[in-house]
Amino acid sequence: MHDEPLLNVSNLTVNLLTAKSAVRPVDGVSYSVRQGECLAIVGESGSGKTVMNFAPLGLMPTGVTTILSGSVKLEGRELIGLPEAEIQKLRGKSVGFIFQDPMSALNPVRRIGRQIAEMAELHLTMTPRAAEARALELVKLVGISDPAARLRQYPHELSGGLRQRIVIAIALAGEPKLLIADEPTTALDVTVQAQILRLLKDVQRRLNMGMVLITHDMGVVAGAADNIVVMYAARAAECGPVDKVLVNPRHPYTKGLINAIPRKEDPIGSEFRGLPGVPPTLGAPIRGCAFAPRCELAVATCSRNRPPMVPTGDGNVSVACPVVNQGKAAA
Amino acid sequence: MIHFISKRLKHSLVLLFLASLVCFTLVVSAPGNVAVLIAELRGAVATPGYVEQVAEEIGLNKPLLMRYVDWLGDAVRGDFGISYRTGQDVSADLANRMLVTGILIAGSAAIATLISLALGFLGAFWPYKLPDRASRGLALLGASTPTFFVGALMIYAFSVTFQLLPSFGFAGPQSWILPWLTVAVLPAAVLSRVVRVGLEEAMASPFVLTAKSKGLGRTTILFREALPNITPLFINALGTQVGLMTATAIIVEPLFAWQGVGDYFLAGVRFRDFMVVQACLLIFLTFFIVVNLIVDLAVLLTDPRIRRQWS
Repeated sequence: MHDEPLLNVSNLTVNLLTAKSAVRPVDGVSYSVRQGECLAIVGESGSGKTVMNFAPLGLMPTGVTTILSGSVKLEGRELIGLPEAEIQKLRGKSVGFIFQDPMSALNPVRRIGRQIAEMAELHLTMTPRAAEARALELVKLVGISDPAARLRQYPHELSGGLRQRIVIAIALAGEPKLLIADEPTTALDVTVQAQILRLLKDVQRRLNMGMVLITHDMGVVAGAADNIVVMYAARAAECGPVDKVLVNPRHPYTKGLINAIPRKEDPIGSEFRGLPGVPPTLGAPIRGCAFAPRCELAVATCSRNRPPMVPTGDGNVSVACPVVNQGKAAA
Repeated sequence: MIHFISKRLKHSLVLLFLASLVCFTLVVSAPGNVAVLIAELRGAVATPGYVEQVAEEIGLNKPLLMRYVDWLGDAVRGDFGISYRTGQDVSADLANRMLVTGILIAGSAAIATLISLALGFLGAFWPYKLPDRASRGLALLGASTPTFFVGALMIYAFSVTFQLLPSFGFAGPQSWILPWLTVAVLPAAVLSRVVRVGLEEAMASPFVLTAKSKGLGRTTILFREALPNITPLFINALGTQVGLMTATAIIVEPLFAWQGVGDYFLAGVRFRDFMVVQACLLIFLTFFIVVNLIVDLAVLLTDPRIRRQWS
């Protein structure tokens, strides 16, 4: 493999200040993505997975002050502290984005062809005509039938699955090295989810891009990702290769998540296995382990000191749990 | 598209017919007897006998339905009858006056569009900053100052103090500027808010996040992504404002001594000159209906989602 990862995030903390409140949706998280690799970021709603990926690239709503610390290196270039004008040049060009809801991610009053072609004009400095040709190529690449007609259509004339394909075509148009897909299948029909995931995986491999796949669907993780980061309440709980983490989860939260997936053997009508309790609110600072109040393994020290990410020695898997790490040390 | 237009035209005709009924009813039920005024105008003593004779002469004694049918029948052929006051042909008078009022409204609409887009964009570009607050303040001022006062201020400033522009009359473009500005102030103020609020809402949409993720700059996003989204909204609001300009014309035309439809209407009302009042009302209503038709067509052209329902 290459020495330098495509995306290297270390100890990233994001603070968001609005007029009324201050929250820390991301608290000291580290991960990296290499070229041709897919990293899944898993966690429940509000655990900070989207902010973690959008904030360093300047994709935050206006009216919110974003304060970043730590380091985010894209192709060796530090993003934190880079002026917005420089980051703007990276968006679309080095990093392509795919959003959760294709129904609202496209401009309703502009033709699809233009929405794709403007990327080629902007990032590959193509003439409008060449950009149209490029748009046609891309629409073919994402597997849409009757591509020439689609380019002349408006978003409302297409189904959700087709629109998500268009969003993917837009993300690919600037020939990015990294794709950030924010729950790309969540808003789609179950039958279409698999197609879109397969398409994403396929283009990622073919174009040899790095991909960050934000999701809360373990099936998606198992099917598409190489590595995984499990997030809980703004912090990483566990990370490592997917085949290790899913098969042999160590952190009690990861265990709970995987245990919560309904199984074939479950009798019909049986209750879902959930985790007891609710996640903490992000407003108040958390001492110790954020998961401790809901954890069955918790001991007194858990709520005193924040557990560090510790390598387990098992093929790059790291876990932030003193009890698990203690047990390993003892064994 | 053709289907849409023919359907809307049919609706418009029905609407126009109903409107003519309302105009007629309103005018005949207004207090005052025009026969008395005509008798006095002719210099005669308005004895009951003479008034009765005048009433008979101008057809006031016919049944109401007959009068309505006569009037409407002539009106659809473009004949609005004879003015009671001047004895002139109303249609001939109106032909000239419609041009004057047309120039007033067209110019004002153009100015209001330009000013409101400029103010709205200023605010949307620097939200909650000084330009935004200034444009909001101007809008508040413009929307709450009565038009006759605006006109008086214009005359005081540009004609009296700086002596740049003529204070009254209809003699070439220079004399059009003050009336245009006077009529444009209120719609410009209202529309600037429509633009500003519409743009802010559009800029908060998910597709703007997509546009940002594409690496487009803020200015590009405002013009290329947000503006097309507020165009149908803006055209709708502009249509309403242009329709209302007929009412403003009634105030502004006499102020600048313009012989337009508004001025004609006012003179007609003062003299209970039914023929003139009815004709003007019908013209105003037709104008309103036509403007609405144009607005619907323009919205159809600018919003593909609506276009689809009709194609």
